[in-house]
Amino acid sequence: MSAGPNSVVETFELARRRALRRQWLQSGLGLLVFSLILGVSFQRSQLFSSEIGGDPLGRIGEFLVRMTPSLQGEVLFESRSTPGSLASWYYDLPVWLAAIWQTIEMAIIATVLGSLGAVVASLLCASNLMPWRPVRFIVRRSLEVTRTMPDLVLALILVAAFGVGPLPGVITLSISTMGGLGKLFAEINEEVDPRQLEALDAAGAGTLNKIRYGVFPQVLPAYASYGLLRLEGNLAAAGALGIVGAGGIGLELQRAITYTEYNTYLAILILMVSMIFLIDLLSETIRHRLIRLDEGGQ
Amino acid sequence: MTLVAPSGDTAPPAVHSPWPGLIRGTFATAACLAALAAMMIDLKMAPETLLSGSSKLGRFIASMVPPSDGGDSLRILRSLAETFAMAVAGTALAIVAALPLGLLGAKTVVSNGLLHFLFRRCLDIFRGVPALVWALIFISAFGLGPFAGVVALAFADIPNLAKLFAETLENCDRGPVEGARASGVSKILEIRFGLVPQVAPVLASQCLYYLESNFRHAAVLGIVGAGGIGFELDERIRIFAFDQVAYIVLLYMLCVAALDFVSRQLRARLA
Repeated sequence: MSAGPNSVVETFELARRRALRRQWLQSGLGLLVFSLILGVSFQRSQLFSSEIGGDPLGRIGEFLVRMTPSLQGEVLFESRSTPGSLASWYYDLPVWLAAIWQTIEMAIIATVLGSLGAVVASLLCASNLMPWRPVRFIVRRSLEVTRTMPDLVLALILVAAFGVGPLPGVITLSISTMGGLGKLFAEINEEVDPRQLEALDAAGAGTLNKIRYGVFPQVLPAYASYGLLRLEGNLAAAGALGIVGAGGIGLELQRAITYTEYNTYLAILILMVSMIFLIDLLSETIRHRLIRLDEGGQ
Repeated sequence: MTLVAPSGDTAPPAVHSPWPGLIRGTFATAACLAALAAMMIDLKMAPETLLSGSSKLGRFIASMVPPSDGGDSLRILRSLAETFAMAVAGTALAIVAALPLGLLGAKTVVSNGLLHFLFRRCLDIFRGVPALVWALIFISAFGLGPFAGVVALAFADIPNLAKLFAETLENCDRGPVEGARASGVSKILEIRFGLVPQVAPVLASQCLYYLESNFRHAAVLGIVGAGGIGFELDERIRIFAFDQVAYIVLLYMLCVAALDFVSRQLRARLA
């Protein structure tokens, strides 16, 4: 054991080199596995296969060009029968607007019903409100299951049961809203200030009164804000659900696709996007007001 | 909630008669309920359709037990793997496209306010289009198959990821970058040692999160014909083979849970 300064440096250098080598090896191995997965994925998903003619970017570009309508400046505001006018592009506007309204109604009803379900479920699985562990466990697990279940699969099954129309769409969205919001609401419930609950306990209030006067005043603004956020998501989802027969604008899009009316895709897409955009703006304003109310009220 | 009077000479609200508030509240509630009921009627949500549908649904659920693989478990597993492959490929494409877009969207890179606003709004607009809609469009462009699904997943993610990347870049600490610059290194080294160590873990964990969500979306895309497990599911729902549907859904949920677990572990290590 020669404890000279040299040997200390040498041991350090050795250890450092070993650590570096191990690090390189690890990241190299990680990179290898990663690129292997990526390569197999690209191969499996036929991204560059010759079956569909290769050149994916070119085909996307070509398709985007085909979607744009050939509007002509001089006849832009002519009647429907003139090709190249705005009206001929949006030839079925009243029907589409009705479908958009139906989509909005679906989203609103589903959000309301789903939030009501979520409130009940969240009270049942909040550890400070529900003393029985098994109930909490069961409710939590079933919320998890509803969250993992893909919307569209549920919609397909419900369309088979209830027939084509908005009803299966509303039920699907309500269930998934309940799953998503139930978990969030339960977390909010668990962060409630316990002093108010204790005060109500001391006054001899029952469970329902405790929830009414101790929990709701604290959590309602947060509930409303999350509910509105969910409404935005449900609107996009409701638009998509129509594609499997659950009503709304998705049905119209599906019809346009069946008849390969490329220009109509873009027309309906623009309608859908502007609907989502408008509702986003509206709900954002309301949410900001709610947050301000919440802060002002404290 | 507010029981304290805002200023000296007004009486506290609790002293006022509660009637106006109560009446207004009742009216508002009644109006909301009426609007909701009107919407339900407009959507033809009649109780009898609900009842007849429920009895059918009950029969479906009853036929789900016991789940069976229908002697096709190899094919089901293969299409699950295909779904995962779609998710990986779609996420990878989205990341490649979103990185430059995120750079353009960051206020610290493009400091022109108007440009920044326009770019962000543009991303917002495209964020509204769900993956399923993209899938429908790309299927009619490229034909049935996983390729359309991959492109659809990528298109749906690009605006979201670009926005997240831009925000990550904006929120990073300028200190290390300035420190690197102070030591007189080149611009590339400045980014390599000042910026990348800060943002890389955040970006990677966001990408993993999107991989998870894409796995869920990819499963659904098959229903409209974009390959993967959704196609198998759709086929079996159409012939009312609900025992096999239950089998696939259970298997799929297991896969989702496994992927969530792995990605959570990876993200915890990154953080």
